[in-house]
Amino acid sequence: MTKQEFLSGLEEKLSGLPEEDIRGRLIFYSEMIDDRIEDGIPEESAIMDLGSLEEIKKQVLSEIPISKLVKEKMRTRRRLGAGEIILIVLGSPLWLSLLIATFAVVLALYIVLWALIISLWAVELSLIVSFMAAVAAGIVLLCQGRGTEGIALIGAGLVLAGVSVFLFFACKAAGKGTVILTKKIGKGIKSLFVRKEK
Amino acid sequence: MDVQVKRGLLDVCVLAAIKNEDSYGYKIIKDMKPYIELSESTLYTILKRLETAGMLTVRSAEHDGRLRKYYHITGTGLKRIELFKEEWKEIMSIYQFVIREDQ
Repeated sequence: MTKQEFLSGLEEKLSGLPEEDIRGRLIFYSEMIDDRIEDGIPEESAIMDLGSLEEIKKQVLSEIPISKLVKEKMRTRRRLGAGEIILIVLGSPLWLSLLIATFAVVLALYIVLWALIISLWAVELSLIVSFMAAVAAGIVLLCQGRGTEGIALIGAGLVLAGVSVFLFFACKAAGKGTVILTKKIGKGIKSLFVRKEK
Repeated sequence: MDVQVKRGLLDVCVLAAIKNEDSYGYKIIKDMKPYIELSESTLYTILKRLETAGMLTVRSAEHDGRLRKYYHITGTGLKRIELFKEEWKEIMSIYQFVIREDQ
């Protein structure tokens, strides 16, 4: 890849970011490449050193606050005509409520997801408690001389303990998965702002 | 390392890289390399942040027939380094307390 190819590729990747930010970064990278070449590094590997365009894009995205992306998107929109403004205001009972409803549904789904995980943990906890109770009751029965019932109860308790071990790992994985999902959604919203702009 | 901590450290590192004389992007990365790895896009973000915070100023100067940006530390930037040194003393005494358990 030549310097020119790299820079135009980068410009394309970053489209949607604030104009000033893109220009600043292009000048910056151009200087970086020139300085590397001057340092005796061949053009090809000077550009390789900078990392792939996709990596750079990811890094830039993670460093730019989402508020800036949103602001930029608002700013680059063309000015609205009077008719459109009237339509937006008149339609607000419709689109505003739809927007709020959509937001509420998404939020509700998210809460349900966490509720599910909490209930999983609740089941896990109740399994452990019943395991302990069954074993304790079994021992009491044994002491009272009701051997068969006591052993049966202790056996049932051990089965519960086994199930709870399995469920523990499932609970942990589910919690972790949801946290990862949350992060992914956050990133997805961010890239939505960048990709749409062209 | 914690992201916030690393961010703060990198800011001070970049300031330290231009403390004694004005420097430019590639040189800053090269000077810091033995101590801490820094990617170009991160450096760009840091320089912008420090400029906005008034800790450095930027000037373009001609070099070998092209423009190169030189970064100059301001009084606020120097103060930031001093503050860092003070903070670090505190952190080191906390560190001493933490590792005390290990001995």
